[in-house]
Amino acid sequence: MILEVKKLQTGYGKLQVLRGVDLCVGKESVGLFGPNGAGKTTLINAIMGIVKPWSGAIEFEGKSIAGQATHLVARSGIALVPQERELFPGLSVADNLELGAVYVPRGKAIKAQQLEIVLELFPILKERIKQYVGTLSGGQQRMVAIARALMANPALLILDEPSLGLQPSIVAEVFDRLSILKKDIAILVTEQNVRESLKAIDRGYVMENGAIVIEDTAKGLATNPHVLSAYLGI
Amino acid sequence: MKLKSSYIVVAVLSVIAIAFPAFLGAYPLNVARSIMTYMALAISWDMLLRSGQISFGIAGLFGLGSYASALAVLRGGMDPMLSIVFAAAFAGVMAYALGFAILRLRSMYFSITTLALMEIFRIVMHNLHDFSGGPEGVVLPSVIFKGASPALYWLCLAGLFLTIGVSWFFEKSKMHLALTAIRNDETSARSSGVNIFNYLLIAFVITSVLQGMMGAIQVQSYGFTTPDTAFDANFTLLPLAMALLGGIHSTIGPMAGAVLLGVASEWLKLKIPYGHLVVYGIIIILVILFMPQGLFGLARKARRERSKAGASHE
Repeated sequence: MILEVKKLQTGYGKLQVLRGVDLCVGKESVGLFGPNGAGKTTLINAIMGIVKPWSGAIEFEGKSIAGQATHLVARSGIALVPQERELFPGLSVADNLELGAVYVPRGKAIKAQQLEIVLELFPILKERIKQYVGTLSGGQQRMVAIARALMANPALLILDEPSLGLQPSIVAEVFDRLSILKKDIAILVTEQNVRESLKAIDRGYVMENGAIVIEDTAKGLATNPHVLSAYLGI
Repeated sequence: MKLKSSYIVVAVLSVIAIAFPAFLGAYPLNVARSIMTYMALAISWDMLLRSGQISFGIAGLFGLGSYASALAVLRGGMDPMLSIVFAAAFAGVMAYALGFAILRLRSMYFSITTLALMEIFRIVMHNLHDFSGGPEGVVLPSVIFKGASPALYWLCLAGLFLTIGVSWFFEKSKMHLALTAIRNDETSARSSGVNIFNYLLIAFVITSVLQGMMGAIQVQSYGFTTPDTAFDANFTLLPLAMALLGGIHSTIGPMAGAVLLGVASEWLKLKIPYGHLVVYGIIIILVILFMPQGLFGLARKARRERSKAGASHE
């Protein structure tokens, strides 16, 4: 297993959000679905060390990373594409990509090689390489965010709602890129756009009220009556 | 080619700056020293600002450097030149210790705490009568280089060059990426593997070293200081105004601002001896209102707009 979360509980102040979450990601692409407020982002924040776990375990490549500082989690090989892009608008595309690599040893070691791969995956960024990211369109910014995360050469790529605020054609493009990526690295992606993301994932979890309620393959989820009625509107 | 020509400009300007004493008298050199001191402080302030942290503690570290250097000479019998190095290191060590506490603060809490530091240092020097000379301050047995204007000018210029060099290094190295990332979004910076606290601490210590060094150069060049001179709020306010006017988040911006405001201030001082600070206040207000990125910020914005327009035509 690349990532294993066991009986994870956490929250903010006195408010408990996660009520014993079990989740694992192997060399595959895993979806995490659920309505707003289910705790998807909190789970990701806990994995990244942005929110400290109250109890339970988080293991990455066999080592516990629960409660570790965020920059150390990032350096160990988990890259995050946060919700709402969160790029560095004061930097050019090139600098954003550079930044993704230089602070993570495993990314820094193969920076030039990784840059080629990333630019091949997102050719549009090659044309925009010198532009400040603040001047890019929403879809392009999302691509920079994913590209920056990939520059760290991660073993696990976490994407928090990558389709949020994007027009449908761009959403399809983003998921298209993710299905190319999943051959090489493990992916954990949270989404409200279940329909598009089911095409790009192998397996998925449905989270409600801070707990996992369904765990199944992409095919299984696509035919699950609860998923159909609650998330696909069928 | 473009890079080469900019190197030539820098080289020519440096030579002119070094050659100033050959054709300027004592008074203009004195003015130049004052402008260079403020320029170095403005640049150092901007260096920390690039991480998003607004420090009001410039005067505190400047004054600390002044006193460390003066007292090292007076009480410790240290060589004046060596005392400048000592004072810079002392300011750095103090910043390192204080940094552990105050760099956990952000935005206005950080700013206000740095402002308070300035007052604490001043009050301590005010009250340590036997050691620091109290409110009357300290008088050194002699001015460094026997007060020769060209030598004093070169000493100050050396401090400025060092500051510019470090700032340039900040702009060209990994520091630039880290500080900009921290300024733009701390969570994203962390998630990219940036150790935020470490980088802030490095930036705070280095800028404090530079500020302490300039304070030491100042006190050695004048031969005396008092708590009210060394910790004068002007050493915080003027560099701030200069950096804001010239354009923040760069080396060249604060430099341009320092020359403009420095020359203007000398002229204003002659015209309205007690009112020139009012003009500074007005400049700060106008700049913040109408060009928050300063002169060079405007230029950068224009260039960015052009790159955007150019890109959409492709």
